[in-house]
Amino acid sequence: MELLIQAGIALAKILIVITVMLLTVSYLVYFERKISAWIQNRRGPNRVGWYGALQPFADVFKLLLKEDIVPSNANKFIHSLAPFITLFVSFATYAVIPFGPDIKLFGRTIQLALADVNIGVLYVLALTSLGVYGLTFAGWSSGSKYSLLGGIRSSAQMISYEVSMGFSIAGVILLSESLRPMAIVESQYGFMWNALIQPIGFITIVVSAFAETNRLPFDLPEAEPELVGGYHTEYSSMKFAGFFLAEYANMIIASAMIVTLYLGGWQFPYIDKFGLSMGLTAGIQVLSFLLKMALVLFFFIWVRWSIPRFRYDQLMNLGWKVMFPLSLLNLIWVAALIMIFNI
Amino acid sequence: MEFNTIYNNLFYLVPEIAVSAFLLLVVLADLILGNNKKLLPYLSIAGMLVAGFCVMNQMTFSGAVFSPSGQSKSFGMVTVDSFGAFFKLLVVISTILVVFFSFSSEEIKKSTRRQGEYYTLILGMVLGMFLMISATDLILIYLSLELMSLSSYVLTGFTKLKDRNSEAALKYLIYGAVSSGLMLFGISIVYGLTGSTNLYVINTLLQSPQINMLALGIAGILIFAGIGYKISAAPFHFWTPDVYEGAPITITAFLSVASKAAGFALLARFIKVTFVSSVAPSGHWLLIPVFPWKELLIVISILTMTLGNFTALWQTNLKRMLAYSSIAHAGYLLLSVAVLSNQGLVAMLVYFAIYAFMNLGAFFIVMIIANKIGSEDLEDYKGLGYSMPFLGVTFGMFLVSLTGLPPSAGFIGKLYLFIALVDANMITVAVIALLNTVVALYYYIRVLKEMFLSKPTGEPVSLRLSPLSLILILVMLAPVVIFGVYFTPVVEFAKSCITILGM
Amino acid sequence: MNIYDIVFYLFAAITLASAFVVVTARNIIYSAFSLLFTFFGIAGLYVLLGADFIAVVQLMVYVGGILVLILFGVMLTNKITSVQIKTGTLQVIPAILGTALMAGVLIKIFTGTNWHSQMAQYPTKTTAYALGHILLTDYVLIFELLGILLLIALIGAATIARKEEKAS
Repeated sequence: MELLIQAGIALAKILIVITVMLLTVSYLVYFERKISAWIQNRRGPNRVGWYGALQPFADVFKLLLKEDIVPSNANKFIHSLAPFITLFVSFATYAVIPFGPDIKLFGRTIQLALADVNIGVLYVLALTSLGVYGLTFAGWSSGSKYSLLGGIRSSAQMISYEVSMGFSIAGVILLSESLRPMAIVESQYGFMWNALIQPIGFITIVVSAFAETNRLPFDLPEAEPELVGGYHTEYSSMKFAGFFLAEYANMIIASAMIVTLYLGGWQFPYIDKFGLSMGLTAGIQVLSFLLKMALVLFFFIWVRWSIPRFRYDQLMNLGWKVMFPLSLLNLIWVAALIMIFNI
Repeated sequence: MEFNTIYNNLFYLVPEIAVSAFLLLVVLADLILGNNKKLLPYLSIAGMLVAGFCVMNQMTFSGAVFSPSGQSKSFGMVTVDSFGAFFKLLVVISTILVVFFSFSSEEIKKSTRRQGEYYTLILGMVLGMFLMISATDLILIYLSLELMSLSSYVLTGFTKLKDRNSEAALKYLIYGAVSSGLMLFGISIVYGLTGSTNLYVINTLLQSPQINMLALGIAGILIFAGIGYKISAAPFHFWTPDVYEGAPITITAFLSVASKAAGFALLARFIKVTFVSSVAPSGHWLLIPVFPWKELLIVISILTMTLGNFTALWQTNLKRMLAYSSIAHAGYLLLSVAVLSNQGLVAMLVYFAIYAFMNLGAFFIVMIIANKIGSEDLEDYKGLGYSMPFLGVTFGMFLVSLTGLPPSAGFIGKLYLFIALVDANMITVAVIALLNTVVALYYYIRVLKEMFLSKPTGEPVSLRLSPLSLILILVMLAPVVIFGVYFTPVVEFAKSCITILGM
Repeated sequence: MNIYDIVFYLFAAITLASAFVVVTARNIIYSAFSLLFTFFGIAGLYVLLGADFIAVVQLMVYVGGILVLILFGVMLTNKITSVQIKTGTLQVIPAILGTALMAGVLIKIFTGTNWHSQMAQYPTKTTAYALGHILLTDYVLIFELLGILLLIALIGAATIARKEEKAS
């Protein structure tokens, strides 16, 4: 019986998270279009539904109804597998991100995270490094040189920036002395947000997150003038939708990770001092997590429509010669803080 | 292990720390100085001098440090003793000589922009050798071996303008990867049998009777494959001729002396610490009867020297010939380990002290001549004895010494080896080794014959030696001549350096 | 046979089957692809042994780093140059004899040896702390040496990769 209840709770959490994720992804696309329209002083989608609110569903139907074209000299098996790998990685990553404190419901404690893994941070890193495979396989199996170059570009880019991302995460781990996302969030009580303690690390992780998600200014795999559509040039219909979905899911995960690691996660500064009831506190904390995430996501979109694209060599130079040393510097900075203040 | 213990233990590692510090200094200097690479070799030599000084200070030390917590204090990961100090000195001296060689090497000069990497990698090799010499933990043995190998793979392919060079590096890498894989597998079996990687702990466990002989035997052979590759013992020698021929001569000389010395030090220490239960008053080692080291080593060494000597007969490229000759020398040196006694150890140290100078000297002269005539083929050496009398005569002396004829120093090395063999009642083996020396005589003398008795084919070449080269040749020639007649100090020094910390 | 046994055999089967494909596949991309599953299986085995940290690091290093590099190498050379990279079979009979002999000896060793073993414990907390502690105390020398080894490897790789200036 106990096992069944446990399984039921886990299943419920998974269902909620996946639904929220999928909805967020579709509306993220909508908001991206709306915000870009706003930035460029035009209207954006406004035909389907109220102010175009049903636009994402229309897009999905359009993609579903399109013909699925596989190039004749593509490797069929890997060609169809690649979007699944990408999607799997994006969704599996979300398992360890805590979106709220422990809550008491019907006499049992429920953690507001799908899994409170001891080495959650490493789990995310490992899965991110798996994400490369989706792109590489997609690029290779299409049997087109644009796809291949796009795939290799994006995976080289992801691998390069993974290094500085790893090191900026290391700074966080050094302070929290734990690889558990829950513990990392709890260590940022009050205003002890890592973004304030280690600003260099915050900068490097944000920049790396842009590169990891292949977003502008680092969206070289999709540089239209040179590479057509990059690794997904030869994809159409739902397979293309898979990549599209994964890109936005990755954005959500990246912002959730940034919030968890650097912006205090679900912590609302000093909320326990307000004397609110348990449920209300938890509600505010979950909301504050979502709000922070929304702000980071807005930042992502804002940057996309404001900054021009880097050239490929500039991107690599920035990654290896600026971001990587900076993230090392951040590590030294944190170590020095710990030495001096005995945090 | 407490921080204090670590700190105290570091005191025993001063030479290694000095080498690492200078390694980093060379990297930084390379970065800061930009295009001015003149300082780098001097920096490396300074590093070697400092390391050598630290080693000299450690001559009388003995102790094993970095013992894991929960183990007895004497069961350390690194063992510092006079045996190790001797080999470290040898490595330091040959490194200094090789760095000086690099001054006058045309091959290295061509790639001026990468000088920084060259000296960094040489220092990396030295660090690997230092740790190999004193390692008494299987993980450390493996790591230091890898450190040395990695640096030497790159150095072998350092001058990228010739195809032979890249071929040599690739062959070296592939053979090396296989042999280190084998060694790692052997190490994992030993760990599975004993639950420890510390050689001292393994030694105590081997003395209990429940060890599976077959598993240990396979593990021993696999680990020997890893070490045997480094010392180019047959049948793990296939890389040697190609690599020695393809690599820049400075690196060839370095590989043939220093890395071989480190390999032998590792082999001797590994056998002594792991498989010897006690040393008899007569100086003989009492093996734990779990693995037939003596038989294995004798078979391998006879195979190695015979193969090396007979194949050398047909070589027409001098670097290749010297490669096979160094395989043959590895065979003789393996015999000194196979004796499994302190006398054998003395013979090994004496042999190495002399071998280092004569082999480096021979390679140096080959390099100078190659700088001038651009070839290492025996054909092109015709009549060189007349156009370059000084080089011809000194080369002859090195070759005579490599053969082991009296009154050269090489004779003394062989003499002590044979004494040790006879002392251990290994008469048959001694006779085979002696016959091998006769074969060796043929191909060494053939070079001299070409140089002095053949008519020069082309235009006579003349060569003006730079003062540095002259001094270097004299520095290497001096021990070869002097130790041949006045060898007591070497032998006495070697005798004082045979402490291997073990059970 | 409890659940751990079943999971163990599952992972072992994945590892073995995909490793078999690695060596038998004709297309080198398929080899690389099934190597992915071999690494996964091994990571799973590490988890079963309670080595959670090593399992994740195995994924990060081998799957995230090394295999990607292998794939890059294969992809960039496979189609751009017209050379077909396919594995062939040479010397079948000597190879079979050699491997059979080796397998016989190894099986004999692994079944007939009293291995030094201890009961596996399923750890209740992460092994990262203990690992970090032991790496910086007992094995600090090896840890630091690894640092230098990697530095040398990096310098060596850069040396080999850098374009040689023309001999002037």
